Amino acid sequence: MSEWVVDAVEADLDAFHLGPVDLTLQSGRAVAVLGSSGAGKTTFLRTLAGFLPLRRGRLLRDGVDISDWLPEERSLGYVPQGLGLFPQRTVFGNVRYPMELRGRLDANVRTEALLERFHLTALKHRHPARLSGGEQQRVALARALAAEPELIVWDEPWQALDVEARRELGFVLSDLREAEGIPVVVVTHDPGLAFSLADSFIVLDHGRVQLSGGPLDLLDRPSNAFVARFVGYENVFDRAALEAGRERPFTSWLLAASGSEGVALGTPVALPTIGVPSTWEGVVRSARPNPEGVRVEVTVDDLLVAVRLPRPWPVKLPAVGDRLRFNLDAEMVHPLGTGARGAR
Amino acid sequence: MSAGVPAVAPPHRRWRTGPFWVALQIALSGSLLLLFLLPIFALFTYAPVSRIVAAAGNVQVREAIGVTLYASGIAVLASALLAIPLGYLLARKRFFGRAVVESVVGLPVVVPHLMVGLGLFLLVLPGSPLYAITNAIGFPVYDTIWGVVLVMAIVSAPYTVLASQLSFEAVDGRVLESARSLGAGPGTTFLTVTLPVALRGIVAGLLLTWARAVSEIGGILILAYAIYPGGPYNGPVTSTISVYIYNLFQQGDLADAAAVSSLFLLIAFALFLAVRLAERTGWVPWRRGDLAP
Repeated sequence: MSEWVVDAVEADLDAFHLGPVDLTLQSGRAVAVLGSSGAGKTTFLRTLAGFLPLRRGRLLRDGVDISDWLPEERSLGYVPQGLGLFPQRTVFGNVRYPMELRGRLDANVRTEALLERFHLTALKHRHPARLSGGEQQRVALARALAAEPELIVWDEPWQALDVEARRELGFVLSDLREAEGIPVVVVTHDPGLAFSLADSFIVLDHGRVQLSGGPLDLLDRPSNAFVARFVGYENVFDRAALEAGRERPFTSWLLAASGSEGVALGTPVALPTIGVPSTWEGVVRSARPNPEGVRVEVTVDDLLVAVRLPRPWPVKLPAVGDRLRFNLDAEMVHPLGTGARGAR
Repeated sequence: MSAGVPAVAPPHRRWRTGPFWVALQIALSGSLLLLFLLPIFALFTYAPVSRIVAAAGNVQVREAIGVTLYASGIAVLASALLAIPLGYLLARKRFFGRAVVESVVGLPVVVPHLMVGLGLFLLVLPGSPLYAITNAIGFPVYDTIWGVVLVMAIVSAPYTVLASQLSFEAVDGRVLESARSLGAGPGTTFLTVTLPVALRGIVAGLLLTWARAVSEIGGILILAYAIYPGGPYNGPVTSTISVYIYNLFQQGDLADAAAVSSLFLLIAFALFLAVRLAERTGWVPWRRGDLAP
C-alpha cells in the first residue's frame, strides 16, 4: 500500500485560505481532521481529492508528485458530506459504477462480493432514497472500495447516524485499515469515534493547523476551547469570563493557570467525607448518576464546575445547595491558546 | 370511561386540515379544472360522434395530423439537441452577458408568435440571400415542413432550455464529485451521472416543448400556411392541424372544425395519459430512484 505525503499544502476557496498543512500517512494509518465549522476541514479534503488546485506545496503518493493530477486519476476514495450516492442507480448500480468505468469483466461478481461483505445483498435493488442512514453509509463505503482506492477520504462519516450504526461503521473502518492497510482521513465531530479510529489528529482553525499529533498530545495540550471540549474536558473556561471575577480566589487561581484563551480542567474527584483537607468547595447545582459514578455540577465563585463522585454510589445523592469539596492537581489544569504549556 | 371516548381530543386532531380549508381547496382547484374542461365540453357537444368518427377516416385530416406530429417530433429532437446544452451552460457556467442570454431565451415565449413567423418570413423572402442559401442546401423554408419545424422549434425550445437549466442546477455537486473521485472523467460524469439525474426535469421540459410545438399556429400561418412536399415530407399539399381547423372555421364549417378539434384532443390526451401512466409504473428511466411517495 502506498504512502501519502501532504507537504506544506495551501489552497484558496474564494476568500478562504487553507494551510499550510503537513501530513504523512502510511499504510494502515488513520487521521482525524478536527475543527469547528468553517475551519477548513472540507476544503482540506477537497484539496486532497483534487477538486481545488494547490496554491503552494505538494501532494506526494509514494514519492510521486500528484499535485496536478485530476480527481479521477488519484486513486483516492473521496466520500463527500451527504455521501454523494447516485440517486438514479440502485445499490447494485452504485457499487458497480467504478468497475463499469474500468470496464472490468468481473464487475458483477465483485459487486456481489462487496454487497455481501457490507450486508447489502438484500437491499441491492433499492434506490438510495429508500435506505436508512446506516445502509447508505455502507453503500458509500462499498462503492468507494469498488474503485480500489489507495486512500479513503471521508467527510463526516458518522453524520446523522444512530448510536448503533455509528459503532458499526467505526468497526468497519477500523477493520478496513487493519485488513487492507488503506489509510483513512476522516473529518468528524464525534470524539469517541475519532479516538477509536484515528491514531493521529489535525486540528484546523480558520484554515490553519493549530495542532497535530496523537491522542495524548490532544489531551495534554488542548490548543483551544474547541479541542478541549472535543477531547472531553467538561470544565473549559474562557479567559474573558475569568478576568471578570479576578478578585475571587478560585477564579484568580484559574486565571493564573490560563493561556491567552483560557483554561481547561480535568474533571476533579469530589471528596464527600467532611474533614478531609481539600482546596476548593462548591455549592451543588445538579447531580446526575452515570455508570462511572455521579456527575455533580457545583458553583465556585459563580463558575460552574463539573466534578465526579466515583462509585460506589453515595448513600444519599448530593442535593442542590449542599456543599461539596474537591481537589485540583496541577496536571489537571491545561492552559488554552498562546502561552499554553508545550503548545506549538 | 366505559364508552372508550377520550375526554380530550387526541393531539393529532389539531393538525388535520379543517373542513373549511378542504372546501376552499376543492373550490379553487375545481374552478380551474372547470375552466379547462368547459371549452372541451363545448367542442364535444357541438360535434356529433359520427362526425368525429368521419373526421378520423378523412384522408386530409389524417395527413394534417400526421404532418403536425411529424414536424413537432423533429422540433422536439432539435430542442433536445440544441436546448439541453444551452440549459447546461446556463446552469453551470458564469459568464459575461449571462443575463442577456437568459432574456433572449425568454423572448420567443413572450412575443406574439405571428411576430416570429413574420421575422422568419422576412428572412427567407424570395430574393433574400437566405432564400437562395436555404434552397440551395435543400432546406427550403417557405411553405414546407421545414418552415413548420423552424417555427415550432423557436417558439417551443425555450421550455427545454429553462427546464434543463433548472434540472442541472438541482444536481448535487457532491454527487458529481464522488463520480469524479471514483474514476469518471468530466465527460463520463456528465453522461453517467449529471444527465441521468437531471433527466426527469428535462423530459418534463421536452413534453412541454412538444405540447407547445403541436399547438403552434401564429408563426405557421405566415411562414408555412400550406405545406408543399419537400425535405422529409413527400405527401400531398397539406397543412398543420391547427391551420386546418382554422381554415374550417374560416369557411364557416363549425361542425367539422369542432369534430376535428375533438379528434385531435383525444389523440393529445391519450399521448399525455400514456406518458403519465408510464411514469407511474416507474419503468421510464427518468423516474428511477425517486423519493418514496
